[in-house]
Amino acid sequence: MVSKRFIAKRLLLLGPVLFGVATVVFAILHLSPGDPAIAIAGERASQEFVEQVRSDLGLTDPLWEQYVRFLGNTATLDFGESYQIRRGAAVGDILADRLPITIELAVLGQIAGLLFGLPLGILSAVKKDTLTDHFSRVGALTGISVPIYWSGPLLILLFAQVLGILPTSGRIGSTYFIDSKTGFILIDTLLAGNLAAFQSAALHLVMPVIVLGVYSMAFISRMMRSSMLEVVRQDYMRTARAKGQGAKTTVMKHGLRNAFIPVITIIGIQFGSMLGGSVLTETVFEINGIGTLLVEAINKSDYPVVQATVLVFAFMYTIVNLFVDITYSVLDPRIDQ
Amino acid sequence: MSTKTHSSDVERSIVDRIRASPFLTELLSNRIAVAGLSLIVGLFAVAIYARLVYDLDAIVATSFSSNPTEAAPSAQFWFGTDGQARDIFPRVLYGAWYALKFGTATVLASTVLGITAGIVAAYYGDLTDNVIMRTMDVLLSFPSLLLALALVTIFPESLGLWRAVAALTLVYTPRFARVVRGAALKVLEDEYIEATRALGATDPRLLIRHVLPNCLAPITVQSTLNYGLAIIDIAALSFLGFGANPGDPSWGMMLANGVEKGLFSGAWWWSFFPGLFLALTVLGFNLLGDGMRDALDPRMRDAVD
Repeated sequence: MVSKRFIAKRLLLLGPVLFGVATVVFAILHLSPGDPAIAIAGERASQEFVEQVRSDLGLTDPLWEQYVRFLGNTATLDFGESYQIRRGAAVGDILADRLPITIELAVLGQIAGLLFGLPLGILSAVKKDTLTDHFSRVGALTGISVPIYWSGPLLILLFAQVLGILPTSGRIGSTYFIDSKTGFILIDTLLAGNLAAFQSAALHLVMPVIVLGVYSMAFISRMMRSSMLEVVRQDYMRTARAKGQGAKTTVMKHGLRNAFIPVITIIGIQFGSMLGGSVLTETVFEINGIGTLLVEAINKSDYPVVQATVLVFAFMYTIVNLFVDITYSVLDPRIDQ
Repeated sequence: MSTKTHSSDVERSIVDRIRASPFLTELLSNRIAVAGLSLIVGLFAVAIYARLVYDLDAIVATSFSSNPTEAAPSAQFWFGTDGQARDIFPRVLYGAWYALKFGTATVLASTVLGITAGIVAAYYGDLTDNVIMRTMDVLLSFPSLLLALALVTIFPESLGLWRAVAALTLVYTPRFARVVRGAALKVLEDEYIEATRALGATDPRLLIRHVLPNCLAPITVQSTLNYGLAIIDIAALSFLGFGANPGDPSWGMMLANGVEKGLFSGAWWWSFFPGLFLALTVLGFNLLGDGMRDALDPRMRDAVD
């Protein structure tokens, strides 16, 4: 059974890691050559005004005071106000609007990756060293080698421009106005009971999910293959066969279940690439998630937004990995020894 | 490789395995690795050719009064021309030089930093180990491309692509540190380390002459896989606007311009060729790295037999 000690240990480690993450973000922002005071006051503001803004922001305080204040604000999820993107709006509100968009994309990409990656990996392992296996291996490696910012635009060219069967960019057709209740567009359109809008939203998601999913599929299928091959050689598999169980039942009942375990860890790591990939995917398909928010904030020197976005990304990644570690220890109790 | 023709197949394979370097033999008999290696060798050839033959100023310059703008691929312009009437073919070839130059710099820097951090952590243990590895853990808590995006802003824009190199070096270092620390910890348990120390070897000598060479295998695999990643990430940063300067013959920059200005108005070749070369390059490193991992992993070797 899963050890409570292991989970407690992992949860305790979360604190220092998040503290470290916040420190790194603070350090990056303070090492950046840009001047937040000028970013707010504007390039042509008078010297006195800039100084006024600087002291209002607390940037004239000693560094350690700023650091302590930053940690306190971060701990209470107070990310301050945006300088540029939505001047004066709470950064927390901007994030709340845009975060679901990215999560929806990353989760759907991951699901697509699993749906196609797992069967492909199993097939590859069962048909080891056949043409099918080689083909799926080279296919997987090609999948992770093709940059999203190349395949994405080419897909748009093909499916939206030439064939005209999928929309080019954005999240939903411009004729639909849907109340944002959850922020997840597929759920919101269903809640509104508007099936035409749901269809439009789903069609808009097809290409972004494909480019993200291919990446994930490639990793998952490779991991599933080697995991299956490892499991097939275990003693308990031979025992199962020796007691007269059929080959198919053995693979399905004993093989798959054990082969899944290592694959779960890759899902955690993959989620990081999903988040990184979402920056590129959102840019290519003009989706207003937090990926494009980060790029926009960096370009406009909107430091509070940059800070909060990076923190949120790291936080999500850490939590997913924590969750994966715990699941892993539940499935494989040997792990905490 | 010398083999006795009169011995049975089983014997022959045993003799072979003892005589030849198992890693190299394994690697060269791995068709996937060889395919990757061929792509990379081809890339190096293209890069060196472009560096020697083309004048960088000429392919960056935008005043080609005689060239048409956005001309489709033809016998004169193999990959067509871009919006500034530049011939795309030499620019794509020169992009190979850029990719290798900046990719190599990134991988080299992060490998050296990672080896240093990993070996020092493993050897000194205790507090040193904890401080180094917990720092690495924190850096690994960020999705890599996002950390790179944030880090890139620290460095002045005038550095161009070196900004991307610096940021990605910091992002990749923890991965090497982890791999090296793990390998070094195993090596440090071996008896010859004890013996060398008893003979009076200094710390640096022990680490560089005895520990490091025994950690090279996992480092090589990690470097190879990271090479492809570095090239694709440098291009990604350029695509997002943090890296190459406009006009630079870097694949990421050409892709960004070509997608933004040419792809949907018909000039598909502007972004297609830089992207194709980028994808093939990264594929080369991924094929080689994957093959290497198989060759190094004895369990995989058994599985293949």
